[in-house]
Amino acid sequence: MKVAVWLIVLAWFVLVIVPIIVLFAFSFFTTEQFRTVYTPTTTTWVELFSSGRWEVTLRTLRIAMTVTLIELAVGFPFALWLAKGRVGKVGRAVCLAMLTIPFFLDVSSRTIVWRAILGQSGLVNTVLMGLGLTDAPLDWLLYSEVAVLFGMVVTLFPPMVMPIYLAISLIDDTLLEASNDLGASPWQTLSRVIIPLSLPGVMAGIVFSLGPALAAWVEPGMLGGGFVNLISNSIESAYSALRYPVVAALSAFVILLLLLMLGAMYLIARRFGDPASSFRVLRG
Amino acid sequence: MKDKFSTYSQAQLTRRSLMQGMSAIAGLAAFGAAGRAAAQDMPLVKAYGVPTAALKDWAPMEKSIGVRCELSGASNDVGVFMRDVMGANMGDSVDLFIFESGTEDILGPQGLYAPLDEKHPELTLWERTSDDWKRSAVVQDTEGNQWGVPVIGNADSFGYFPEKLGLAPDSEEELSWSLMFEDENTRGRVAYGNAYTYSMGPAALYLQAKGAAQIGNVADMTPEEAKVVADFLIERKKAGQFRTLYGAFEEQIQLLTNKEVDVINCWEPAVREANLVLGPDATRYAYTKEGYFKWGHGAYIAAQAVDRGNLDAIYKVLNYFLSGEYRALQARDRGYAGPNMDLGVEYAEANGWTAEEVAALKATEAKVNKKFAKPYVSTTTPNNASAMEEEWQRFLNA
Repeated sequence: MKVAVWLIVLAWFVLVIVPIIVLFAFSFFTTEQFRTVYTPTTTTWVELFSSGRWEVTLRTLRIAMTVTLIELAVGFPFALWLAKGRVGKVGRAVCLAMLTIPFFLDVSSRTIVWRAILGQSGLVNTVLMGLGLTDAPLDWLLYSEVAVLFGMVVTLFPPMVMPIYLAISLIDDTLLEASNDLGASPWQTLSRVIIPLSLPGVMAGIVFSLGPALAAWVEPGMLGGGFVNLISNSIESAYSALRYPVVAALSAFVILLLLLMLGAMYLIARRFGDPASSFRVLRG
Repeated sequence: MKDKFSTYSQAQLTRRSLMQGMSAIAGLAAFGAAGRAAAQDMPLVKAYGVPTAALKDWAPMEKSIGVRCELSGASNDVGVFMRDVMGANMGDSVDLFIFESGTEDILGPQGLYAPLDEKHPELTLWERTSDDWKRSAVVQDTEGNQWGVPVIGNADSFGYFPEKLGLAPDSEEELSWSLMFEDENTRGRVAYGNAYTYSMGPAALYLQAKGAAQIGNVADMTPEEAKVVADFLIERKKAGQFRTLYGAFEEQIQLLTNKEVDVINCWEPAVREANLVLGPDATRYAYTKEGYFKWGHGAYIAAQAVDRGNLDAIYKVLNYFLSGEYRALQARDRGYAGPNMDLGVEYAEANGWTAEEVAALKATEAKVNKKFAKPYVSTTTPNNASAMEEEWQRFLNA
């Protein structure tokens, strides 16, 4: 057993940690004439901040967190309803299928459709103008931050809902009945029983939404119209100039931010209860 | 030009040629097997590069010059290509490299490409090839050293709706890039490519032409010059000039066919695709006053090939790239322009091509003559790439 753990740790170290260290090391080199100069220097990092390029990380963070919060606000009630609400077997199967199928479709093809719907001569604007609700097409529907947020919320809905749904459906119904019998209000049952027991699912949902949201590339590219420049777009651009150190520095910066955020999230989650508590339910 | 969202280049796209490109490679492979017996005695030239230079079928070349060519396809990524040439010493086995302009600026002076011998007896068409092509930055380095032979290319401008701009649908009037950047009538109705490699040059060209900036080399701007261009673009962005900054070829087509914008700096095939949906001449590809984003592919000799004894065969192939037969076949099968379009027309007429095919070749020739006399030739490897990219990010983040 111990050997297995060490093997896993070793494999993890070689496959995940070492590349990150290499990445971090690369950020201390520079590029000249499309060749990487392997002389350690902080030039790339200094430029990252002096040119204002690092601001792209703050924008990315702001948008990614907004998306994650919206997902959580919409996804948690939905998952609760799906797991414990009065949904028939067929209804649940249909909902789960609808949540799963998008995983098999390419994000680009799912996203590009919105352009035809949200564009100036798109479906939404045509309907709005047809109904006389607006005189001119709303141009902020597409190529704006609103459009990017919308596209990301749609794309990342399943990764938020699925883990929460699984965590809630693992909660034994007798616990909810007991809470009810002991005179707890629905709100008390939610806050004292359901939320603490579904925390691992919520944590997983946040990680699965926040991670891709931080790395979002398709939605800002296709729905932002170039007005919502996020970290992945910035990295892609640096890559096109073969500026690997800039790519490395931007990536390393995001990883650092992500670690900070996950740490903060863990601390917050601890206030609600033991994040690992549901696993005890699993062990029965 | 490389497409951000895809793995193919503009050249490969012409005439929906992604599939054709694939079949060309497949054809090569098939030829390798079937034609080997017949062509066994012919000298062989091995090429490595973007597959766009390949003919759909090399048989006409073998018949004409008695040399076989095997082309293995490279990625369109300039970084990957240069790494292959530099790191993997591909010159040990490959005779010719074919790639978009820029690699010669670095690989030439580093000694990985052999200088072109303009007096080589097999290079008979060199003399009559126009300077617009043979002295272009596609095949010369910044010092003016000659490293290669031009193979294909085009001059990119912008697509527009003549009706929306109040122009006759068949107008060949030269328009100003101000329609992209400053015209009040197009404000908020312009799509602008979001890659600095493709879009920064035309803005610099425009600023220079109207006397608002002094720019030494539009394709390779100094940090100060790039800053002037970025400042101008930021000002225009804030003024609401651009409806969107697009990223991919598919978007170019979609923006035109949805009529989301009136003007877009784009690849010529996008206009063609849009017109298939909207009707002939619904959109047009502009002739411009200031100039074009001229791109091209060149063929360069590997330095190691000089001592391999098949230099005559290599120069025969290079000369073939300048010939009417190659020109006519490439234009017909893939829609490419290139040097010596007039020879292409001659070839088509002499070989009984239909009047329609000949007319199309003549139209391409006229277009190329009109466009190629103007600046500027793009490069995939500007010396100031870092500074240009950094300034471009400032524009994108503004």
